[in-house]
This record gives sequence, C-alpha cells and structure tokens, in this order.
Amino acid sequence: MSYEIPMGPYHPGLEEPYKLSMICEGETVRDAKLEIGFNFRGIEHLAETRNYIQVIALMERVCGICSFIHTLTLCQAMEKLTGFTPPPRAQYIRVVMGELERLHSHVLWAGIAAKLMGFKTMFMTCFEIREKVMDVLQAISGNRVNYSMNRVGGVNRDIEDPQSILAMVEALEREMRKTIIPIFTTSKTATSRCAAVGVLTHEKAISLGVVGPVARASGVAQDLRKQAPYAAYEEMEFDVPVVKDGDVRARLLVRALEIIESCRILRQALAKLPPGEVVCGDGKFNFLKLTAPTATARVEAPRGEVMYSVSWKEGARNPSRVHVRTPTYVNMPSVRFMVQGARLADTPLIQASVDPCYSCTDR
Amino acid sequence: MSSTEIIPDALIDSERAAYTERGGALWYCGSGLIVRDVARAMNAVGARFITITTYELAANGGFRLEYHWDLMGNLLGFDFPIAGNTMESIYDLCEAADWIEREVHEEYRIDFRGRGYEPLLLREGGVCGVNLQKEVVQ
Repeated sequence: MSYEIPMGPYHPGLEEPYKLSMICEGETVRDAKLEIGFNFRGIEHLAETRNYIQVIALMERVCGICSFIHTLTLCQAMEKLTGFTPPPRAQYIRVVMGELERLHSHVLWAGIAAKLMGFKTMFMTCFEIREKVMDVLQAISGNRVNYSMNRVGGVNRDIEDPQSILAMVEALEREMRKTIIPIFTTSKTATSRCAAVGVLTHEKAISLGVVGPVARASGVAQDLRKQAPYAAYEEMEFDVPVVKDGDVRARLLVRALEIIESCRILRQALAKLPPGEVVCGDGKFNFLKLTAPTATARVEAPRGEVMYSVSWKEGARNPSRVHVRTPTYVNMPSVRFMVQGARLADTPLIQASVDPCYSCTDR
Repeated sequence: MSSTEIIPDALIDSERAAYTERGGALWYCGSGLIVRDVARAMNAVGARFITITTYELAANGGFRLEYHWDLMGNLLGFDFPIAGNTMESIYDLCEAADWIEREVHEEYRIDFRGRGYEPLLLREGGVCGVNLQKEVVQ
C-alpha cells in the first residue's frame, strides 16, 4: 500500500520554504512532487521600475549567498549593452570576490550537510570557518552579505592591500585542508551516510540540463569559467573536479575539491593583481547611447550557471526587461529522480545535496 | 531543418554565415524557424537547454520569445515572434523546458500547445499574467 508524506513548505529539514510530497511504500520513496513559489516576489517585474543604479541594488537581493554573482552577471550584461570593458584590475577583483563567495557558499553547504548527516561537531566547525571567509569578504568590501562591489564598467572598491588578504586566504586554506577536506573526502561517517544515496544518472543529468556541482557530480564536465571564461578566469590555472557516481557523496566530493581549486585561484588572482583603475571611464551607464538593445551574460555561481538577459530601450531610464535564470531553478527538478527508490530518512540529505536556493528560484 | 544547419559557426566553418554574435550570444539568422525543429536539432547535437526569455511587444501586441541553448560553451539564441499568445511546447522533446514553460505561462499568460500545467510560482488565487504590462483581464 502506498501513502503520501508531505515535507514542507515549513519543516525543520528545509532551510527555505518549498514542498516535497513523497509517495512511499513502507520506508521507500517511489515518487515525489515538488512545489515551489512560496517566496515569489516578482523581482523581474520590479526591475522594470528601477534605474541603472537601483536595479543593481535590487538584483543583489535575489540571493542572500550569491549576491555578488547576481550583480556581476547583471553588470556584465549591462556592459555588453554599452560596450564597456572593465579595466584588468577590476576583472581580477571580480575573480577574487567570486571565488570567496564560492568558498562561503560551499562551506555553508558543508555545514548544513554535516548537520543532516548527524555530524553536529562538523556543522559547528564549518560555520566557524565560514565566519572567517566572511571576515575576508568584509575586509575587501566593508560588508558581509550584500557587498555592493559591482558597478557597470568595474567595481566600487579596490583591494588596497592584497598581501594582507592573501595572508587571510592562506590561513583559511590551511584550516580547510586540515578539517573540512579530509572529513568530506575520506571519513567513513561521510562515506557510509552518502555513498549510493540519491543517485542522479549521467543520462538524466543531461536530459534535465542540470548545472554546477550537481552536473559535475554526475560526470558532466561543464564549468563556464573554463568553457566561456569571463572576468579574468582565462588567466587563471585551475582544474574542474568531475566525479561520475552521481550520488550524494559525489556531490560532497566535487564541492570539497572545488574549495581547494577556489583557494588556488584566489592565490593566483591576489598575487598577480594588476595595477590601474577599478572602473572604466566615469563609470556611468549611458542609457542614451547603447551599442545593443538586448544583452545576455552568464557566470558560474557556486551552485552553477546564472544567466541574465537585459533589454534596454535607448533613452529609457529603466530596463524594459530583466530575466534571471538561476542554477537551482534547473537543478531542483532533479530531486524527484534522486529520491525515487531512496529511504524516506535520506530525503532531507538528498534534497540538501543539490544545495537549493529558493530565494533564487522563486525570485 | 537538419541539425547541421543550426550548429554554430564556431564549430563548423561552412556554417559561419548562419549565426551573428550580438549582445553576448550567437543568434541564428535564418527565418521561418519552427521551435520544435530547433529543439530536435539541438537534441541531436547534444546542446543543453538553458531558458526562454519573454518580451512583451508594446507596439502591435504579441510577444517575442528567445530560446537559449548552450553548445560547448557557446550561447545559442533563437528568436520567435508570436502575434497571439500561443506557442508550441517543446517539453516532450526537452525535459528541461518544463519549469520555464510553466513560468512563462504564469507570468505572460502564454499557452504552450500540447502540454498541461500545474501551478509553479503562483499559489492558490494567483492570476496568470503577473508580468504583463497591460492590465490583466480575466
């Protein structure tokens, strides 16, 4: 006999509101249905009522974790509209901020995953390290969450003392290599709790078009920093970790290895930070003289590809359209297939392994 | 339309004329495209579906739908102007298009022919057409 178990929209196992209705037979989940929209704010519509300064501040609030990435993608699209090219120093600072945000996001996720595994000491360790990542972000931008770093044509703040930031990053890396990385890559606790759980096959990952660590954990070697480099990524040496197993452990491994690669990129970017300005021209978005009416930009966020399409009529104060495609929006439908055949008790961990962001998804 | 006809120039030199780069994407220049043919062709070359961006056309009414796929890091764009508010669904050909078709339906009241809908972003009592500039008439 089958029965339905609803999880959410408000549940201790969920970080944000959404609903997963699972059809179970005994302890086994046979199928599931996902409902979203509990956070729908109509941000795309609201963007059409904001000018070029206000729209950046608005889009910074699409996501509380990837706030830098959202404004970076938006500004890159707006730079294509105007034909602006940010100076090299600004491009490097964008890489530094982007990678710090990836560290922040992955360590936060690792903490939540550890908690769901029943590994609460690790949860506390991850959150302690996350605080230190946020200290670095604060040292650069003056803010801990919404950094206000991006503007059209560059960034708002310079990194005045890269050596001190580099020292902070190196201290962070030592700590992560000592704690998070060995636990998530070799410990029996993590392996026994995550191996062969919540499998997303390579074929299904391709069919659903999943992105980011979810795709790379199912053997899909895809990363915009390599395939379509933006900012200064073309000048960075790094590897894209890909694991073929498609289970929760593979997603854990991919993110752990990405932490190491992010530290590698950060060391390079801070060591090679070129001299010069951090914004091109007067940094004003000239909506009276546009080179294209519509532009699109894509960036590899911690959770995968973010895409912005921006349309602006010449002479208009506000955009006529801003469309945001976030990574969780494409990753989340895969949860239905990950939980099929899984034990009910594993479903909170499985859905968390996608690292969902409903703030992004619902917009 | 054969799949090789819409593979981007960057990948096949002989097809260089088929695309122009504009605003960060490679746009297919040909006319008379049929969305389901494009979806089949993209499937055949292993392109990854990204999204549909909808623009409401103020002057004569109707909409412009931009479909995007990724092929080996190349962002491909296909433009579909529609006079009314119906469009062929590609959901049966491209599983990844499910949520975005439902979202476009809720935000712009566009009906994708050949599929059913379940609520996505709107909750009970929500009215389809939340992103329309025109006043929503039920």
